[in-house]
Amino acid sequence: MRASMSIWAVIAAALALLPFWPGAIDSYAFSFLFFVFIYAILSQAWNLIAGFGGQISLGNHAFFGLGAYATAILWSGNYLWGSLYESHPRIYYFDPVTMAIAGLVAALAAALVGWPLLSKLRGDYFALGTLGFGEIVKVLFVNGGDFTGGAFGIVAPSSTFDTLLPHYWTGLGLTVAVIIAIGLLMRSRYGLALIAVRDDEMAASANGIDTLKVKIAAFAGSAFISGVAGSLYTYYIFHVGPDSVFDLDWMLLPLMMTVVGGTGTLMGPVVGAFVMYAVFDLARIVVPDYHPVVSGLAIILAMLFLPKGLARIGFGLPGLVRRG
Amino acid sequence: MFDFPPPQIFLQLSLNGALGGAMYGVAAVGLSLIFGTMRLIFLAQGAMIILAAYFVRALFQSFGIDPFLSLVIVVPVGLAAGWLIYQGLFRKAAVEEDRNISLLIAVGLMFLAENLMTVIWGGNTAGVVTSYTASGIHILGIRTSFTRTMGFLIALAGTGLVMLFLRKTLVGKAVRAASEDITAASLMGISPHRVNAIAFAVGIALAGAAGVAVATTFPFNPFAGFIFSLKALVALALGGIGSVAGALAGGIILGLIEAYVQFFVGGSWTNAVAYGVFLAVLMFKPEGLFGRPYKKA
Amino acid sequence: MANRLLEVSDLEVAYGDVRALWGVSIHVEAGSVVAIVGANGAGKTTLLRAISGLLPVRRGTIALGGASLAGPAPEAIARMGIAHVPEGRGLFRQMTVLENLELGAFQPKARANMRQALDKAYALFPRLKERAGQKAGSLSGGEQQMLAIARATMSDPKLLILDEPSIGLSPLVVQQMFSLIETLHRQGVTILLVEQNIHQALKIADYAFVLKTGEIAMQGTGAELIADPEIQKAYMGVLEL
Repeated sequence: MRASMSIWAVIAAALALLPFWPGAIDSYAFSFLFFVFIYAILSQAWNLIAGFGGQISLGNHAFFGLGAYATAILWSGNYLWGSLYESHPRIYYFDPVTMAIAGLVAALAAALVGWPLLSKLRGDYFALGTLGFGEIVKVLFVNGGDFTGGAFGIVAPSSTFDTLLPHYWTGLGLTVAVIIAIGLLMRSRYGLALIAVRDDEMAASANGIDTLKVKIAAFAGSAFISGVAGSLYTYYIFHVGPDSVFDLDWMLLPLMMTVVGGTGTLMGPVVGAFVMYAVFDLARIVVPDYHPVVSGLAIILAMLFLPKGLARIGFGLPGLVRRG
Repeated sequence: MFDFPPPQIFLQLSLNGALGGAMYGVAAVGLSLIFGTMRLIFLAQGAMIILAAYFVRALFQSFGIDPFLSLVIVVPVGLAAGWLIYQGLFRKAAVEEDRNISLLIAVGLMFLAENLMTVIWGGNTAGVVTSYTASGIHILGIRTSFTRTMGFLIALAGTGLVMLFLRKTLVGKAVRAASEDITAASLMGISPHRVNAIAFAVGIALAGAAGVAVATTFPFNPFAGFIFSLKALVALALGGIGSVAGALAGGIILGLIEAYVQFFVGGSWTNAVAYGVFLAVLMFKPEGLFGRPYKKA
Repeated sequence: MANRLLEVSDLEVAYGDVRALWGVSIHVEAGSVVAIVGANGAGKTTLLRAISGLLPVRRGTIALGGASLAGPAPEAIARMGIAHVPEGRGLFRQMTVLENLELGAFQPKARANMRQALDKAYALFPRLKERAGQKAGSLSGGEQQMLAIARATMSDPKLLILDEPSIGLSPLVVQQMFSLIETLHRQGVTILLVEQNIHQALKIADYAFVLKTGEIAMQGTGAELIADPEIQKAYMGVLEL
């Protein structure tokens, strides 16, 4: 298994070296890949709770938004670095502490909401509950007054980067880190427990697994990863508003990408993110007036003809086999 | 000091809330039917309602067909469209164990419908203005508009017809049976595909009727459908998933909640309160406010 | 041989990679009562579910009067003349007794004779007439089992399949249940029966098969098997304790 994953390592290394290719930084492919990374991270997050955990969350966009807001609030209020900020004006950029806090805020929210939701609601009811939660969070931020900037949101103080290079490398690094972390996790005792809960909750519980704890941990983990993705996006967009970062697309698109790539597989979400974002982006360039129509069609066609995901075709690539 | 509002206000709020909430209710009835047989949260229902509203507007503007009269066109078209949507888009996915597939097809359909409407009719807010749009009715000293009252009656009639169909006809009984236990129903010779297609046909026909009500009452735009779907889900949970009369009642309760919150708390909080009630009901009374216990899906 | 209604040969059924039936062959003569007996987990319910199309057939054939049952969907098989009362009865608990019975005659052929079928069912199960307007879920366990069987007879099936009709019932009601099955038998209904109550089942069965870990271990007339010392030792000794 370790040896067979090497093809992905080669791809990652090639992507890491891509910026050194003459002209690559100014090319369109660069910002394209940055968004693929964001969606790949979000898809991994959704796959953790839904694919491996079997709990369909329709509220993951809330965690993305929480991460984005946490980053913008810490930064614009300079809550972290005090006077250091004056001497190092770029200190908040891709600051690991800020990004980790963004993830933790989302994870904390997930744990607080997940505890009642996951202990009381099963299946579709959990999905509906998370959907309601996402909408509530959005309204709370619209009504958050000066702290959240109301309906307009918050503009991060600075926009002094001329290239996307740091975004690109951070995105790539986070994507790789998330894949490795989830890969290791699913090999651990915890991962086995998560799959056991997904496949047969009663049997898992009979075998001494604390199913609620396992599910809450997966939900919080999924939220953490989504929150970090939201943080990363903030460094790109600077303006964090309720309608933009709590947009349902931040949940629906990763969900779709994961299903197209293959739910419950390690590399499926990444492949799905790449393929679907490429389809959407291509549509936007080729038929600019109709591109959302094409997106809708693409989803329907993918589901009609590839209902089990690209992963089931496999392309002979490793990491596309469903575990469990 | 806070002045206690005159009692007239409560009557007016209740009436507005109930009339508006009936729209959520009729959307929820459609969702309930489709969820009942397919265990699918048909997120595109709101988009179907808006699509019907545009269709009604087109009939009115191009052919001068009165919006309420267009019910006789919209409802049969909805029946046929629902049948085709099931056969073309969901039939294959319905037999898959992974229900994400159906959910995603519904999402894809929603995207497709929203954006087709944008391409055809533009993204701006539209409405239907007839000679009677501004006319009102006075009941017990409170005023309500003619079109809203008609919308309410359409919702009542649509729900009533669906209930008659489900209770009095053998095919309707088969739909209820399949909602309760699809395996046992198939052992009776009831085809799951047929039942699903019927649920879809009736659900989309109801969306058509709701479209008439929406077109005459509210300004709408291509993307207004999704929030409608969400509100219908809330209504569904309030009324108890699987109960048709409950879905309508749930919609009316939601309308009342919104009307009162909007007046006493503020318009920007209505959604949060609505979804808060939704979460509370899901957690503490998942069978709905007046529902029977429902087998957890 | 001449009147062989159901013929299952060399049937293999699996859940994923786990094979549950290994080359099972049984047959049911028209007008007879055939019992399948065996321990829990032997594959009895699996066999019935494969016959009525609820489980896919991996190998082998199932034929009802010459027409293949391996392949069609359950609803198509039901329309071919098989009425299956599943484990757990499969009643529509939120619907009334009458509605349950009506749905038993849902298939077009049966729909035309709904009135007569209903009269016949009420004659056989007078209790159900009294409770026609009640929700099925509110009936007692015995009444629910009666309703499930009555509903299955509404379509005048060629073959009635009963999966553990006596399960969870009090001894007195179990007696009623078996005498009811005999009554149906006398009326000419062909019955394929799975039972844990082996003694009772063999007593009323014209022919029986013993399933053991997915294979037919023994077969013979009901009387032969009751007398078989091995059967007595393996199954009935335990039950009659």
